[in-house]
Amino acid sequence: MSENKRIILSAKDIEVQFRVRDNYLTAIRNVSLDLYDGETFAIVGESGSGKSVFTKTFTGMLESNGKITNGSIMFEGKDLTKLVTDKDWEGIRGKKISTIFQDPMTSLNPIRTIGSQITEVIMKHQGVSAAEAKKQAIDIMNKVGITNAEQRFDAYPFQYSGGMRQRIVIAIALSCHPDILICDEPTTALDVTIQAQVLQLIKDLQKEYKFTTIYITHDLGVVANVADRVGVMYGGQIVEYGTVEEIFYDPHHPYTWALLSSLPQLGVKGEDLFYITGTPPSLYNKIKGDAFAPRNIYALKIDFEEEPPFFKISDTHYAKTWLLDPRAPKVEKPEVIQNLHEKITAMTSEGGAYYVKQD
Amino acid sequence: MSNKTNEKEVLLSVRNVDIAFDNKTGIGKKRFRAVKNANFDIYRGETFALVGESGSGKTTLGRAILRINELSTGEIYFKGKKISGKLSKEDDREVIRSIQMIFQDPAASLNERATIEYCISEGLYNFHLYKDEEDRIAKVDKALHDVGLLPEHKSRYPHEFSGGQRQRVGIARAMIMEPELIVADEPISALDVSIRAQVLNLMNKLKDDKGLTYLFIAHDLSVVRFISDRIAVIHLGRIVEIAETEELFKHPLHPYTISLLSAVPMPDPRVEKSKKLVVYDDSGRDLSGEKPILQEIRPGHFVFANDREMKEYDAILKEMEAKEAKQ
Amino acid sequence: MENNKNELFTFAEFDESKSEHIEAPRYSYWKSVWRTFVRNKFTVAVCIFMLIVVVFSMIQPIFSQYDPMYMPNINDATLKFLGPSSQHLFGTDNFGRDVFDACWAGAKNSLIIGFVCTLINMILGVVIGAIWGFSKKMDRWMIEIYNVISNVPFLLLAMVLSYVLGSGFRSLIFIMCVTNWIYVAYFIRTQVMIIRDREYNLASRCLGTSTWTMITKNILPYLISVIMTYTAREIPANISYEVFLSFLGLGLGQQNASLGRMISQYTTYMNAYPHLFWIPVSILAVISISLYIVGQALADASDPRTHR
Repeated sequence: MSENKRIILSAKDIEVQFRVRDNYLTAIRNVSLDLYDGETFAIVGESGSGKSVFTKTFTGMLESNGKITNGSIMFEGKDLTKLVTDKDWEGIRGKKISTIFQDPMTSLNPIRTIGSQITEVIMKHQGVSAAEAKKQAIDIMNKVGITNAEQRFDAYPFQYSGGMRQRIVIAIALSCHPDILICDEPTTALDVTIQAQVLQLIKDLQKEYKFTTIYITHDLGVVANVADRVGVMYGGQIVEYGTVEEIFYDPHHPYTWALLSSLPQLGVKGEDLFYITGTPPSLYNKIKGDAFAPRNIYALKIDFEEEPPFFKISDTHYAKTWLLDPRAPKVEKPEVIQNLHEKITAMTSEGGAYYVKQD
Repeated sequence: MSNKTNEKEVLLSVRNVDIAFDNKTGIGKKRFRAVKNANFDIYRGETFALVGESGSGKTTLGRAILRINELSTGEIYFKGKKISGKLSKEDDREVIRSIQMIFQDPAASLNERATIEYCISEGLYNFHLYKDEEDRIAKVDKALHDVGLLPEHKSRYPHEFSGGQRQRVGIARAMIMEPELIVADEPISALDVSIRAQVLNLMNKLKDDKGLTYLFIAHDLSVVRFISDRIAVIHLGRIVEIAETEELFKHPLHPYTISLLSAVPMPDPRVEKSKKLVVYDDSGRDLSGEKPILQEIRPGHFVFANDREMKEYDAILKEMEAKEAKQ
Repeated sequence: MENNKNELFTFAEFDESKSEHIEAPRYSYWKSVWRTFVRNKFTVAVCIFMLIVVVFSMIQPIFSQYDPMYMPNINDATLKFLGPSSQHLFGTDNFGRDVFDACWAGAKNSLIIGFVCTLINMILGVVIGAIWGFSKKMDRWMIEIYNVISNVPFLLLAMVLSYVLGSGFRSLIFIMCVTNWIYVAYFIRTQVMIIRDREYNLASRCLGTSTWTMITKNILPYLISVIMTYTAREIPANISYEVFLSFLGLGLGQQNASLGRMISQYTTYMNAYPHLFWIPVSILAVISISLYIVGQALADASDPRTHR
């Protein structure tokens, strides 16, 4: 990545609370993030880590019982946390910042044709005529790899396969040329071969349309494939962020270590995989110290007392763990993830697949 | 793995199995063949993986072994005895006890209104596998301990547990039956990444301790490589390749297997970013020649091919083997 | 001080089994039902009120020994059509009978019939419906029976049966149960079919659980809240049915006190002595509505989605 990066979106000290019956749940606890123009930023974490909630604040799509209780999100000189009504969001949500969700059926209307759903968005955001919108729609359907787009224009969502539907959702999201595309687990519901194709498609389209992408996923393989930079989320916080190579080859947070070393891809047959015990913290309670401490085999006593600050590892790489404090004992990352690249290249052939390449 | 070659006892044998469903929706009556002429053996003590994408028929086949789905044609043998079709009452009960299942979604497969104690004892009650109350409780406690849960969990309800804990309850309830074969239908895909490893470890440990055999159904080759001894790849109801795990990963032959292998995401940005996708497309293939069947190309390595393709695959294999010999 | 600080930077102990421990207090289904129910103060108040009314209507007739056929004051015009007073709380009627005593005796009969009929219908309906939902063979002919019965007008059936059996307590209960259980059964059948094929039932099958155990352990516990809801509607509905049939002269005979019969007799005096008509109607309404409110609250409380 070049040095003179322009910040396109800047979230500062975001805190989000949900009211559930009589309790408050703090889903996001002071998260900051600068998003650079044109990059792909991946947020990785398990369910309940708050990764989806965090990005929903960028489009004002929090559930009605949720509220941003602190912080600001600056986008094009406007603070997005100040926007309230749908009218305030007009021109941003769906136009400048679009989202693709895990299940394409939740974003598609099952009783309307695919074509009418794409043209509707184009007409709404660009104010063009129906004929022009249809032309653009077919154009973008071709772009996302729908063959015979003209014929399939009048088909209904159920006539498409899961992968095709996700392509349509991508087409709708891109039809108004957004600046930022948020992909919320876009391939989790898809088969692996289809997943690989959809990821490739998003990457190709990103090159062509030059938008910024935020990926939300729990799959480190997907992260390795798509991301320029990565933020690891746990218990409503980003606990480590850096470039993709820094996160995979030189991780410093014990949670990142744990996530990487528990991957079955790295498992050696006949030996136990590394695993994380227990469950993520309940966000109903106030968390004292480091949220990961109870599950962390490297936990220090201070982790139970005081929340760690971010320690700088490089200009781009920060981790929120007391292990980086000069007073802390020196800990090497687990053996499994040392020399990760060498291990994986030994396991795979050129081209990244497992098998020996055939020419 | 080494002693397996000497004396392999076939535990389960699937012969020429077709499973078709009547599809009454839409116009006319269509028969949908979910599984087409499946043939394979599972040896005692191994983990046999059935890998395929959604709609490949892998779950249908797994459930046919548990006799939930009926076969259209073909037979299934367990320990040499035919278990498909009608069985005598004693045989039926014996087969139910010996073949157990672990489900994909632990939240959906546990009775939410029953305590963990009942969930785990259910099989014991059905077969009276205990001497007295004391013995039953001892067995339940042991089953809980085996999967890393605590005796205090007995009076809890499933919804009080995390996904990983619930899946371990599902495993304990199957294990308490002392089965010989366990059909595990995507046992970790509904779980969070951080707890998948724990369940996989547990399954491996229980297999070693109790001499179990697994049929592991999965869509993800990366998991399968870690856990299984042999792999069958199934595509649109058809088994296209069967081989020992390392053989399949080293020398995949069928183009679908290759495409599946290439799609496995690797946790390495450099490798992943330089990766080339292999898209499997049936339409572009040369299907000339006679009808393909599943044939053995190397000992233990089967591929779905006709004679012409067999020759091509053989040539590819020879080339790969020569290359490895040089290294 | 410095030492103390460095102490914090040593490894904490790590205990794996601790992470398996569940902090939350033990969950108990019925306790949660109770807690959810008592949380709503209004329904608790209605419930207490309803209990008082029910208990009172069971006890009061014992003391009053009210008999509708016993009319000692029939020839004393000064004791007819009296307004409410301390002597006769609800006044007297055209035969000089005490309306207060009559109301509670009637309410007692109505309540007994409402509860008994509901009990019979629910037991028959739930048991038959549960088996019906499981058995495909039974479904085939039960559906036919259901179609036939649901196409016979209930009123016609009630008239024919009451002429054949004569009026009275038992025959009224028989009339109200002979066909009505099948609607409960049909409802339960549909509910069973919805959850019958869920994965946890498949899991039970794999463990060799018999159909009967599946019904009692897997299906019915899930249906508690819908059964409660149905019962909550059924009790007031049966009470109204009793009143309605008695009103038409098809229910309880002259010899039994009945709210329905009272209402039908006093309709004539609606203008001249409105309290004669409105008092039994109000008592009926109060009983029905409070039963319904309490039943609904119980049904809601028995739905685990409301538990917390």
